[in-house]
Amino acid sequence: MIKPFLFTLFFWGIMSMAWSQQAYPTNEEISTRLQTVASHPAVSLVSLAKTAGDQTIWALKIGTENTDEKPAIAVVGGVEGFRLLSVELALRFAEQLVNEHADVLNKTTFYVFPNLSPDAYGQYEAALKYERSGNSVPVDQDRDGQVSEDPYEDLNGDGYISLMRVETPIGHYKTHPGHSALMVRANRKKGEAGNYLVFTEGIDNDQDGKFNEDGEEGIAFNKNFTYKFPAFQPLAGDYPVSQKETRALVDYLFEQWNIFAFVTFGPANNLSAPLKYDKKQAQNRVITSMLEKDVEINQMISDLYNDVVSEKPFQQTNQGTDGDFFQWAYFHFGRLSFSTPGWWVPEVKVEKEEEAKEKQDQTENQSEEVNFMRWAEQQGLTDVFVPWEKIDHPDFPDKNVEVGGIKPFVMYNPPLSVLDSVASQHADFILKLAEMQPHLEFHNLKVDELDGGLTRITVDLFNNAPLPTHSELGERSRWLRKIRVDIKKDKEEILAGNSISLINKLGAYETQTLSWVIKGKGTIEIKAGAAHTGFATLNVKL
Amino acid sequence: MNKTIYTLIICFFAGTLAFSKAHGQEKFFHAIGTPHQPKVEVSWNRYNTYAGLVDLMKKINRAHPNLTRLQSIGKSVEGRDIWALTVSDFNVGNPDQKPAMYIDGNIHSNEVQGAEFSLYTAWYLTEMYSELDFIKELLQDKTFYILPTINPDARDNFMNEPNTPHSPRSGMLVLDNDGDGLAGEDRFDDLNGDNHITMMIRKSPDGRYVKDQQNPELLKRVEPEEKGEYEILGFEGVDRDGDGRVNEDGIGYYDPNRDWAWNWQPDYVQSGAYKYPFSLPENRAVADFVLAHPNIAGAQSYHNYGGMILRGPGAKDDVEVYNRDDVRIFDILAEKGEEMIPGYRYLVVYKDLYSVYGGELDWFYGGRGIFTFSNELMTSYLYFHKNENGPRDVEHFKVDKYLTFGDAFVKWQEYDHPQFGQIEIGGFKKNFGRIHPGFLLEQDAHRNMAFSVYHGYHTPKLQVLDVQEKKLENGLREITATIYNERLMPTHSHQDLKNKIERPDYVTIEGPDVIVGMVVENDDFNIVSEQKNTPGKLAVANIPGMGTVKVRWLVSGKGDYRISVDSAKGGMAHWEKINR
Repeated sequence: MIKPFLFTLFFWGIMSMAWSQQAYPTNEEISTRLQTVASHPAVSLVSLAKTAGDQTIWALKIGTENTDEKPAIAVVGGVEGFRLLSVELALRFAEQLVNEHADVLNKTTFYVFPNLSPDAYGQYEAALKYERSGNSVPVDQDRDGQVSEDPYEDLNGDGYISLMRVETPIGHYKTHPGHSALMVRANRKKGEAGNYLVFTEGIDNDQDGKFNEDGEEGIAFNKNFTYKFPAFQPLAGDYPVSQKETRALVDYLFEQWNIFAFVTFGPANNLSAPLKYDKKQAQNRVITSMLEKDVEINQMISDLYNDVVSEKPFQQTNQGTDGDFFQWAYFHFGRLSFSTPGWWVPEVKVEKEEEAKEKQDQTENQSEEVNFMRWAEQQGLTDVFVPWEKIDHPDFPDKNVEVGGIKPFVMYNPPLSVLDSVASQHADFILKLAEMQPHLEFHNLKVDELDGGLTRITVDLFNNAPLPTHSELGERSRWLRKIRVDIKKDKEEILAGNSISLINKLGAYETQTLSWVIKGKGTIEIKAGAAHTGFATLNVKL
Repeated sequence: MNKTIYTLIICFFAGTLAFSKAHGQEKFFHAIGTPHQPKVEVSWNRYNTYAGLVDLMKKINRAHPNLTRLQSIGKSVEGRDIWALTVSDFNVGNPDQKPAMYIDGNIHSNEVQGAEFSLYTAWYLTEMYSELDFIKELLQDKTFYILPTINPDARDNFMNEPNTPHSPRSGMLVLDNDGDGLAGEDRFDDLNGDNHITMMIRKSPDGRYVKDQQNPELLKRVEPEEKGEYEILGFEGVDRDGDGRVNEDGIGYYDPNRDWAWNWQPDYVQSGAYKYPFSLPENRAVADFVLAHPNIAGAQSYHNYGGMILRGPGAKDDVEVYNRDDVRIFDILAEKGEEMIPGYRYLVVYKDLYSVYGGELDWFYGGRGIFTFSNELMTSYLYFHKNENGPRDVEHFKVDKYLTFGDAFVKWQEYDHPQFGQIEIGGFKKNFGRIHPGFLLEQDAHRNMAFSVYHGYHTPKLQVLDVQEKKLENGLREITATIYNERLMPTHSHQDLKNKIERPDYVTIEGPDVIVGMVVENDDFNIVSEQKNTPGKLAVANIPGMGTVKVRWLVSGKGDYRISVDSAKGGMAHWEKINR
């Protein structure tokens, strides 16, 4: 009696494990893993805020001894709510760091913000799944005076929001020549007639001619920042840094003076290829191009990335979008900022003639989907497409309407089987970036005894690193400290030189010579550095 | 006999009562345009600390409970309440739904008179409500949200602690200004203990200044080839942290007027910006208040100095934001303002001053579509009604000699400075120059108040001007309503319309069944646009200033109906058909 019962339980247990291993973690599973990471002594886990959807914005601070006085890298995930992979990569980095590379913490401090869009991320585990960017705050996206009056509807009851197509001669779309399951805009320039209207799945609840333009969507984290803030656009809101999540994160970051670089897992990519330098934009009062020396740094780090990450870049054209976190971190916060999606659909090569036919008339967006379908077929992934299925649609009572299309999440979030190599390569990249961090050292100390009991101390301060202490933009920002040199002697005993001096910046492998003339005897301490460069100390015997 | 005596006695007492009452009234005679027996007595020829302002606000609120509401909208850095006084006739309509004028002062801590001018407005409106029909009607139609100080902490610091006329300017956060890792380690030092930070000068062969022979307090610059006697060392202070600089890191530095969410830029682009828009709690409280009161259609934010009526754009790149239709409204209001306040000039920030990013007036207009001015109060023109082109100090000494009798200046006195040696300390006091001397305060407050009244007056005022009914076939009726806005400002500025900042205006008919609802674009040629969804509640994008909007319904059934207009910035209007 009991045996079959236990067996059933056991069986269910295994099945549910297998089920969850096929899926990306839920918000709760992420919290559990974070608690585990936090049990390591070098880790402190903080809740920065609770979102409107009652989710937590977590921050991990990982470091040993003098945590605030070592250069730090911040690793960020979940800036885009439906990029589940980004959260997993940030989490795995934290796990690998404390379990396998804890020695790195002697030199570098790390911050990990695994998921900045937990409300949107939660749509992955909801009953109705769709790619969501916005949080749970009710927002009038189309600014018509009503909030969420036209949401999605799951017309075919499959638990996903995909596309729907309406067969009509006034349509703009036709089936894609590269892949019959996909829809593509008819090319008017070639006199092509479309025969389908294409919308996202749902009805026009408010009868304004638009479908699903104002539903269960709030403000998107990655549109809520001050750099090129897209004021009044859907998902951006009325003004930047308006959301609890963004303010909590930004307030916290402004208190961490030791961050010198950000690595963001998100849609933008300046690692496969660096940002470009535009002289005119860089010289305006409002700077909209990365500065020249910083582009050189970007190139250097981009080369490192391409060495470490084996996947060849393909269709990586997003180098920043208005209001995003990645650009804010550089242009407004003055730190080095790197971003990558972590994974993308690799290029699937096709027969020459098919390719030529495609290139003739398709937009890049469409060929992204075609490439994905080909890759999915190549990989034997069966669960990525909703086959077109006829439904009755109340807004088109006499027309042929079908629901179908690529499933949400699958184009940006690979099967978990590829994750091990992606995660360890990116962890490897971040650790190699940490090795390049600014590193101040004292060299060539000379102690000259002069007449009258005076001593001249001369020493070189050397930045023994391929990265400068301050990016070119960071030098201008009040939110990065200068290199402060202190010599512990009273002002009266220093006859030449200052007890406190400030150095704006030391470039890669750059040296600055310092000297003082001191009266008296004893041992004095000279200390140089800043939170984000680390400190060098020297004890001199007079 | 008793009756007569009693009557006489009563008449006698009644007489003395009447007599004494008449005698009591004889102490004052009404001066035109001002409260002659105000419930709240205020001296308008002096300044108030935060405590003084709060005291007056409470008095006004207590004296006029049906005309005012006093609320705290948030707290400052040091935990002081930011007070908002709402002035309106609370017995007529809902003040939070009437077209509103917003006024604040003192965003820069040392620019103190904006608080007095704002408070004067609240005082005047409440005291004159029962005396002037114009004010009564104004408060029945409109609401004034008055926030005398939005930087209370540093206002008190400016007044109670040693400061220059220009400091602190910010709030009370202390930041690391020189990048040495310490904050506020080298502030001003009041060496002579007079609660003013004045100037330090020293005799020096390199000096380019001499003391004027007639007036030894006046420092004059010498000719290029002439030998001078004095050098100017700077503001009163000592090098506290031994880094070779004096007073380089005190309270602040940041500028609360660079913290607003329109085209906000970080500190390296716009000096004084803090972390992100509304990162300062005082400004965030104001922003939250404005967002919660979409009925605000006009605004004024007081500053000093210069005698200006300013509008945006603050930054050159925002030139396209200010379109011609809106600029026209700004022009009409401000040109009238120039007449009301002689000596004040109507100027555009980026063009006539300098490009500023993240300013308050930019967010009010760019971010909320509110017609906003910033007046820079006080101009030297007010002293002698002349625009002096000579050195400012010369004119200032003339003022102090003939009008303020030496109160404005700290005479040069010797001092032994630890770093500079023998110096002299002296100069104009912090409360002279940028802020009005007492005798100029009330008149300028009244004129600026009048400008804000004019500004508030011209927020939209809607009425259902005309309703035409036409019988159609099949028992249908055609009802056409004309909505008229009799003031200058439209219900939506162009910036508002362009970005759909505020919701549309709604014109609703209640009573009959509505078959078709439409907005009439052109009645003469019957050009209409139908609204298919909820036709009984028509969404109208805008009702222009001094202009009309026409709507039409086709309804079935007989009987009465009621037409309502609901506009966020235009307020409400109603019309009822009862036995017409």
